[in-house]
Amino acid sequence: MIGVKDLVKTFPGTRGEVRALRGVSFEVGKGELFTLLGPSGCGKTTTLRCIAGLEQPLSGDIWINDRVVFNAADGVFIPPEQRRIGMVFQSYAIWPHMTVYQNVAYPLTSDISRKEIGERVAGILERLGLGPLGDRLAPNLSGGQQQRVALARALVAQPQVLLLDEPLSNLDAKLREQMRFELKALQESFKITTVYVTHDQEEALALSDRIGLMHEGTLLEVGAPAELYLRPAHKITADFLGNANFIPARVEVHEKQLGAEILVATPLGNFVAQRGAEWQVGVPSQLFFRPEYVDLLDDADGAVNGLNRGCGVVERVSFLGNSTDVIIRCGEIALHARAHPACLPAVGKRVCFHVAPSSCIVFAA
Amino acid sequence: MNVTPVPIAKHVPLRRWFVARKMSARSLVFGLTLITVSYLVLVPLLMLLYASVKSTEDKLPFESTVTTLSNYTAVFTSSSTLPIFLNTLFFTAGSLFIGLPLAILLAWLLERTAIPARAWIANLILVPMTIPSLLSAIAWIQLLDPRIGLVNIVLRSALGMTGDTGPFDIYSLYGMCFVQGLRLVPSAYLMIAASFRAMDPSLEEQSAMAGRGVAQTTLRVTLPIMRPALLAALIYFIVVVIESFDIPGLLGFTARIRVLSTAIYWATHSEVGLPDYGLASALGTIVLAAALLLMWNYQRLTAHQERFATITGKGYRPRQLKLGVWSVPAMVLCVSYVLIVVLLPFVMLLWTSVQPFYAPPSAESLGRMSFDSYYKIWHESSVVRALWNTMVLALVTSIATILLAVLVSWFVVRRRRQTDGFAHYLATVSFLPQCVPSIVIGLACIFVYVRFPVPIYGTLWIIALAMTTRYLAFSSRTTTSALMQVHGELEEASQMAGAPWTRTLRRVTIPLLAPAIINVFLWVAVHAMQELSMALMLYNPDTVVVSTMIWSMWQNGRTADAAVLGVVLTGLSALLLLGGHVLSSRRHSNS
Repeated sequence: MIGVKDLVKTFPGTRGEVRALRGVSFEVGKGELFTLLGPSGCGKTTTLRCIAGLEQPLSGDIWINDRVVFNAADGVFIPPEQRRIGMVFQSYAIWPHMTVYQNVAYPLTSDISRKEIGERVAGILERLGLGPLGDRLAPNLSGGQQQRVALARALVAQPQVLLLDEPLSNLDAKLREQMRFELKALQESFKITTVYVTHDQEEALALSDRIGLMHEGTLLEVGAPAELYLRPAHKITADFLGNANFIPARVEVHEKQLGAEILVATPLGNFVAQRGAEWQVGVPSQLFFRPEYVDLLDDADGAVNGLNRGCGVVERVSFLGNSTDVIIRCGEIALHARAHPACLPAVGKRVCFHVAPSSCIVFAA
Repeated sequence: MNVTPVPIAKHVPLRRWFVARKMSARSLVFGLTLITVSYLVLVPLLMLLYASVKSTEDKLPFESTVTTLSNYTAVFTSSSTLPIFLNTLFFTAGSLFIGLPLAILLAWLLERTAIPARAWIANLILVPMTIPSLLSAIAWIQLLDPRIGLVNIVLRSALGMTGDTGPFDIYSLYGMCFVQGLRLVPSAYLMIAASFRAMDPSLEEQSAMAGRGVAQTTLRVTLPIMRPALLAALIYFIVVVIESFDIPGLLGFTARIRVLSTAIYWATHSEVGLPDYGLASALGTIVLAAALLLMWNYQRLTAHQERFATITGKGYRPRQLKLGVWSVPAMVLCVSYVLIVVLLPFVMLLWTSVQPFYAPPSAESLGRMSFDSYYKIWHESSVVRALWNTMVLALVTSIATILLAVLVSWFVVRRRRQTDGFAHYLATVSFLPQCVPSIVIGLACIFVYVRFPVPIYGTLWIIALAMTTRYLAFSSRTTTSALMQVHGELEEASQMAGAPWTRTLRRVTIPLLAPAIINVFLWVAVHAMQELSMALMLYNPDTVVVSTMIWSMWQNGRTADAAVLGVVLTGLSALLLLGGHVLSSRRHSNS
């Protein structure tokens, strides 16, 4: 449905050119919601704007619905207004001098009868719960309403592709959560192929069919949300998605254990862990596990021995409502654990913990 | 076609790019804008430079074949030109010495202190801007003429002075400085008050929290922060004074005192002998160089000023100083400023317009009061023609200027990220006329068009062309900063909705720029109506406009008629500005 291949984009910088995209390739299937996730400056918005046609890549190919919209080698560039894409901008870009109705009707005025325009605008406004607001001027709308108007305007011409550039980032926390579900429901009912850009990992995990994690102009890793979260192939993915503990590790007797699980020695003790894609024999390693997989043990003394176990002293406890964050000091290492809210260990107390081998991954350091 | 730059990476074949029809419309307009702006601005300046190195004994510059620096050596060695430079220096320094401190004081009082009737005074200060400076010179002559000036007459009888002249003589460098200095106050006040307003008040509050009093805070925080802004204002108004023509032209005519701008005029409109284009263009080039140097510094300063981070988005109202006992002298100052500088000249102008010949107000002259001039003046066909020409000129100039300004600013703002440098070129060239004094543009246009293949010389169009060039700088600056406030995504959303460039401009960009467009339109219209020096250089009896009419009536001693036309011109300007004000406040209350 949407394809992007070897996309390279440079921007003029103060010292020569900045390579914003260094060969990005991915495909999005029909009706799929694909998210480009990454920190600011990773190139996710640039990629989206290249698909929209608002930026001109240096090289690569882009096709939408089997139509080539950009091909550097053949010099094909379809301008954005001819790509028939719906797009919601981060700022919503609602035209302040037009009413809600005029904003939404704008994409339709080319070859459709006035009556049909009225019907379609009314239909989409109704669908998005904006029915009575048609005569309002844009500045008199709340943030959530502006968001819906932007969505209505993007969808009214029934495009086959929808691009969303951080659409929820300007909303307050409560509304953002509500809109997240609405957006997903809307996308599913329209069955519209969607590329979604965000830096918010929670949003990405909740909404996406697949996530592409971007880092410094490259697409690092693509996968379903659970896949990326539970079994990240790269350390950067592990670090960016959710919270992470990284502990310096040394691989023990690697010759015999080239299967999925390997044994590593760490300052905390020996751990059995999964092998990350980046890991190679002979390279300094890091053991990764997430705070929520750290099980605090009741029995502080008996647990010292054995695999995947460690002990330390409680340094700090913060109660977060739905969980408790515990920092455990183990010599040089400050370990981050997330426990049940009822678990409130005393600061200075000695605790031991266990991490399941399936939740541990070894990466190259 | 190959002059239009193509906004695409080099390795993509051009032909394919142009196949996308919509893009080529944009490139075409871009090319046309580039060419038009380059032509309007650069050609006259090059002609001026060319003329200044041509020997022009009895010839027009381009008829001469001799290239020489004699024009310049003549300017710098002749005993008749040396006083021009000295006069200009004195005139500039004197005007600024009177105008700027007054403007700073007023701005400080109105922005930083709890002075009563703040809004009233702030508005009244701006009123003189509606009066053409030619008319304020005439009004001040009525007040300070050594013989018949009202102030002098009153003072003479009050002080029991004998003789029939003095104590003040407006036909002197001091008089010129005085009138020009007061003339600067409204616009200088606007500029300085704006930078007071732009200053983050928390910077001052921090000083107060640190235990410093008002005097300490003003000296150690406010003024150092304001220094770049004040310096920029100083440089800006040096250029304004050097450029000014009306006041030194009118006052210096009687007194035979010439400054650079008026010297250029008299060199080409000599009462005796032939026009000396060589001298005029050499003087013009010198003024131009000085103005360029100053404006370059101004640009540097204002760019620096932005980095000074005086502007924050926070809408805090700065702390206003309680004046206490000082509010009495502050009020006296403001009220007397309004009475003497704002109202008195205007009243004098009205008075003159209802007197058959000029006489100071007295029981006798009150009896002679009549509105006859207001009726009789329209019997003169040239007056009617002048009024008509003025309207046409104002309309044509403002439409042409705003069109060009919108296009220039669109390409400047939206092409900023492209590396071909055209956006930067366009921004620079369109701002260049800001450094070119009007009289110099007028002179250069003579050179360009007097033998132009299209017979445009001696028509209104050439005056409109000169004015469009001159006002392009201010206009494109204003629309550029307005367009910078319009988020690029608003236009991109229109593109994504399938609208080609022209529709995006028509439906999204221009409506969003409407307030700025209306303001610029009115600004240009009012300036075009009041402008004297360009019109004076380029008009002929067929293309006479109101301002040149007033000028020649005054020279011929028709004071009452000049005053009547002056009142009419002021009224028209005020009407336009008031209309704009109503329009923009209606827009505000609507949205």
